[in-house]
Amino acid sequence: MTDRVSDPMRVEPRSVRFRAEREAEWSELEQMLDRALSSGLRGLSEDELHRLPMLYRSAVSSLNVARKTALDRALVNYLESLVGRAYLAVYTSRRPERGPLRRFFFERFPAAVRSMSRELALSTTIFLLGLLVAYAMVRVDAEWYFAFVDPGLASGRSPGASTEFLREGLYAPQHDGLSIFATSLFSHNAGIGLLAFALGFAAGVPTALLVFTNGLMLGGFLALYDERGLLIPLLGWLLPHGVPEIGAILLCGGAGLALGRSVLAPGARSVRDALVDAGRRGAVVAAGSVVLFLIAGFVEGVFRQVVTHDLLRFALALFNAAWLSAWIVLGGRALVRRRS
Amino acid sequence: MSERSVRLLAPEGTEIGLTLASVPERAIAYVLDVVFSQLLLIVFLIVGFLAAAITASEHVLALIVLGMFVIRHGYFLFFETRFQGSTPGKRLLRLRVVSRDGAQLGLDAIVARNVMRDLEVMLPIVLLVAPEAAIGRAPGWLAYPAVAWLMLVALLPVLTRERTRAGDLVAGTVVVRVPKSELLRDEARGTRATRLRFTREQLAVYGEHELETLAQLLRSAEAGKADDDDLRVVATTIARRIGFEGTEPQRTPGTFLRAFYRDQRTELERNLVLGRRIADKHERKNAPGRRD
Repeated sequence: MTDRVSDPMRVEPRSVRFRAEREAEWSELEQMLDRALSSGLRGLSEDELHRLPMLYRSAVSSLNVARKTALDRALVNYLESLVGRAYLAVYTSRRPERGPLRRFFFERFPAAVRSMSRELALSTTIFLLGLLVAYAMVRVDAEWYFAFVDPGLASGRSPGASTEFLREGLYAPQHDGLSIFATSLFSHNAGIGLLAFALGFAAGVPTALLVFTNGLMLGGFLALYDERGLLIPLLGWLLPHGVPEIGAILLCGGAGLALGRSVLAPGARSVRDALVDAGRRGAVVAAGSVVLFLIAGFVEGVFRQVVTHDLLRFALALFNAAWLSAWIVLGGRALVRRRS
Repeated sequence: MSERSVRLLAPEGTEIGLTLASVPERAIAYVLDVVFSQLLLIVFLIVGFLAAAITASEHVLALIVLGMFVIRHGYFLFFETRFQGSTPGKRLLRLRVVSRDGAQLGLDAIVARNVMRDLEVMLPIVLLVAPEAAIGRAPGWLAYPAVAWLMLVALLPVLTRERTRAGDLVAGTVVVRVPKSELLRDEARGTRATRLRFTREQLAVYGEHELETLAQLLRSAEAGKADDDDLRVVATTIARRIGFEGTEPQRTPGTFLRAFYRDQRTELERNLVLGRRIADKHERKNAPGRRD
């Protein structure tokens, strides 16, 4: 038995040399990642921040080579996890772009709304359908009113109330507890709006029901006040906050219906891809709607209680409708054009 | 439940394997986050009501209402946005949300996965405890399909391959374990000094599977979990199988096995470069053109 060093069999496995050549780089990357984990990327120096993507890419290529040519499972496993960690650090820890919130609300929100205009039209239709049904039924028989309007929400505004009481409710200026009133309305309504979107996951059916019942409630109110000749004052009372609020409900409803459609009819894509697409766009719409609810709460709780003149109320309603449509129709377009 | 992994496609075109978080891990992280957010809420309420009592202002009360909304809906949103997809609870369990497509986790995805939580957690609880609060004046039988549906939604992480809850499905995200990396000793290293030598035919008996098994044996010998006797059994088996002559397998089984491992890996990796992959000894036997 002789020891022949020249024997080709005496050569070490390729992966041993491969590892020896690159090991220092890997452990440098590893140490960097350890520090980034404990103190975030801020724990790294400017120099290291530049080096990180480079080391990451080199580790990726090591992994590619090792997967193809190395038979040391421990080495491949190590590189898999190292690259996984580095990937997370490089691709998910980037500092947020400048003005992400501004972009979110002024570009992506209007664009997302425009992208689901069909669902928005559908939710508007469902809402109006509910409104008309309730209006017609209450005009025929006032007893139907309680089928559509929750007595808790009605707070005395019912067919049994006198016209004077109803009129007073529309104009009586309130000054106490306005801001609490406004914020409670906001958080209640925004919660319902978000739920309307989320419920779209159940094939959109609960969302449609929610939008429909909201339409029923408004229809009941309209019928009651119209019967007493108070339709115009009611609209003046309702529209200033109603424009952003009902708008937000319709938007959330539309986002929920889009989600439901992606479950039922994903088209050429897989359900999973369709769901993600509708989910992410819908989330943008729902988040923008929360801002609308906030504005509506402010108008309802503060502005409208102080301003009791019909004309001023209609002016505000018109103003709200104007900026809301401008926001959705024009938002982000100028920027898109500049880019292309 | 066994470990499951998910493969993401990095922009470099390389598949990256990450281990998925298990359902119990996610549940514990969630419970921790609920506890943390409730503590936050309690502290906020104490401070808020103190401020309200001192200032006697209704605006402070309004701010409390607003603050409650923000904490309720913003806790997950804030941490997942600010800390790379990990809330305090997830951080304690070393978990992290990542986008399924391998891209950066966007604000839209974070909003989507968290908006769904009411549907997954709050609604089933409300329906079970007080169905009338959730379905209002709707007919009572409606509660049954509603409960069934919501239970299904709540159980999604257990049912789906990637343990995705409804929020993850809608947002296109998965929750993974932040990987740990540890480079084990290379068992083929530092065996240069042996005088053992194997022929190509002897090295051609086993495949990659046997090679990996041998590496594991050597590693556990390193860790003291296998002794010389264990090694001797394997060494003599291999020696008999490949027709190795000499006393080394009996006398110094560790040295023998190490040398054999090193040389066999050299040989198999050489084949690999040439595009020949041999999975195990059975494939060897069936391989065409092999001379016995």
